[in-house]
Amino acid sequence: MSGAAKKKWEAITIVAFFVAALLVPVVVRADYTLQVLFRVFLFAALGLAWNLVGGYTGQLSLGHAAYFGVGAYGLALFSKLGAPNIVAVLLSMVVAILFATLIGAVSFRLRGPYFALSTIAFAEVLRLVAKNLPNVTGGDVGIQVPLLFTHASIISFYLSAVLLTAAVLGITVWIVRSRLGYYLMAIREDEDTAMSVGVNATKYKLIALLLSSAFTALGGALYASLFLYIVPDQVLSMDISSEVAIVAMLGGAGTLIGPLVGSLILESSAEVFKNIFQEAHLLIYGVLIMLVVLFLPKGIVGTLMQKLRFFKSPPQAPFAAKPPGELNNEPERAAIGE
Amino acid sequence: MHFAYSALQAILNGILTGSLYALIGMGMALIFGVMRIVNFAHGAFLMLGMYVTYALFLRPGLNPYIAFLVAGLFLFIFGYLVYMGLLRPIRGHTDFMDILMTMGLSLILIDGVQLIFGADYHQINIPLLSKNIHFGPQISLNAPWLVSFVIALVCALLLYYVVMHTMFGRAARAIAQNRYSAPLVGINVNRVQGIAFGIGAAAAGMAGGLLLPVFYLYPEVGNQFKLKSFVMVVLGGMGSIQGAAVAGIVLGVVESLTSLYWGNEWALAVDFVIFILVLSFRPNGLFGSQRV
Repeated sequence: MSGAAKKKWEAITIVAFFVAALLVPVVVRADYTLQVLFRVFLFAALGLAWNLVGGYTGQLSLGHAAYFGVGAYGLALFSKLGAPNIVAVLLSMVVAILFATLIGAVSFRLRGPYFALSTIAFAEVLRLVAKNLPNVTGGDVGIQVPLLFTHASIISFYLSAVLLTAAVLGITVWIVRSRLGYYLMAIREDEDTAMSVGVNATKYKLIALLLSSAFTALGGALYASLFLYIVPDQVLSMDISSEVAIVAMLGGAGTLIGPLVGSLILESSAEVFKNIFQEAHLLIYGVLIMLVVLFLPKGIVGTLMQKLRFFKSPPQAPFAAKPPGELNNEPERAAIGE
Repeated sequence: MHFAYSALQAILNGILTGSLYALIGMGMALIFGVMRIVNFAHGAFLMLGMYVTYALFLRPGLNPYIAFLVAGLFLFIFGYLVYMGLLRPIRGHTDFMDILMTMGLSLILIDGVQLIFGADYHQINIPLLSKNIHFGPQISLNAPWLVSFVIALVCALLLYYVVMHTMFGRAARAIAQNRYSAPLVGINVNRVQGIAFGIGAAAAGMAGGLLLPVFYLYPEVGNQFKLKSFVMVVLGGMGSIQGAAVAGIVLGVVESLTSLYWGNEWALAVDFVIFILVLSFRPNGLFGSQRV
């Protein structure tokens, strides 16, 4: 099959998948199933948004709960001030972008683990501030969130999550094929080299984060509106940050459909585990993560792509080894036998 | 005058808490220095140490100040096995995978302990708990905190000695300086990293055991200490164990003073603000950039 034909088939497959996903409520009526599917698509969208920063740009953000929480709290607070729902959502996306600018300005000066830790710190500061300012955020008691849709049906939420996922996926495809995408991947592979050929690394990393934060905030607003009530330890917690990152990394960071696959597998199996293993479900979930890390080291899609050379899309190696890692692996191996 | 006493009292309490933080942070720094792994299971290791000490306190009725040694030994072996079985096979993959692996491990440990002991809060009761030691009319220190402080100090000094003055320590520092030339001078990188991971886990486990008499016990107790140990490692300069120790004491004092003047709920927030400031202005850490 020629490259162009293959691309066409890929596009058709993806469109068909989303059309099928949109038609699911016609067949599936159970609220519970739709709720699980809502979560699957919501985290797929969040994972895809994370992927712009974590996957394609190679900046391991472990603080995406900050944007998620800003989206959730933004919707609650702006509508409390009298803004119509849609305006409140848009405003909270703007606020998330402002926060991302601030966080990016500090964190992007750091690299590797330092960057990851600083993103955790920002998210935690937001969580603690939300907890400790009861006059504004309701503190630990929480705050009410308006319903985004006119009728309180899970179907509207499910459909919005599917559309959000499709939108983020569309934007990802657009970015990956644009100049911006190549800049981002160049930064991921080797930031210094990218800078030496004139790529303004700080600027492009920030652009990736701003896009990512806006979509994450939208996801946060959607999530909050489903629950109608939020507390800091729920929407600003490290659990959200790590879940988003885990979904994307396990699916395959830096691959197009990795986060979608990751979310389908992780979120649905987490739900199944909850029903079968009950209290042990997190344990089984942890074991699943370990097995993937041990046997599919580039994530599910990343490793499969490498093995099958199937579904090939331009961004291949998910932040594959920096050159020193590859080169210098040998002496370490040699030492084992001694 | 009262003002000065309450501040002094807060600082002293902060130093007592800080010594335990220091032990936790040193373990994290050793692991980070020698392996470049941000250990997301560090809090779970501490929690495991607490539960081992708790189990020994319940069944044979062992004093926690002895049982913490067993917890340390247990975590050393556990950490070594974790390194050999789970972390060594994925060395050379991306940093992301190390983080995922330790996150997965942390989930397993927390949920595993919850299955065995339940999610309830526990607190042990030893006679020492109600004793306070008075220094003058205004200052008094809680006896178990004081005992934990002294033991933590000894452990920290011992750890420092091991890293600075033994063959293992020299090898560990060599790996921290240059992971790729260390094997060229005959260092068995895997064994040293395994032992370092074990010692790091043991430090967290012993700190957990020492925390047991003065703290609540529940499966997720480690999470807050995990976050604090990140702060300490960055504050002290990534991978510097002396730096992490000093940072632990600083953190303890700052938290204690924050609690006194602003309220307990802001203490952790102040930790992170310091953390962000240090990362922004002195990414090599407050205390220079010496490694391990």
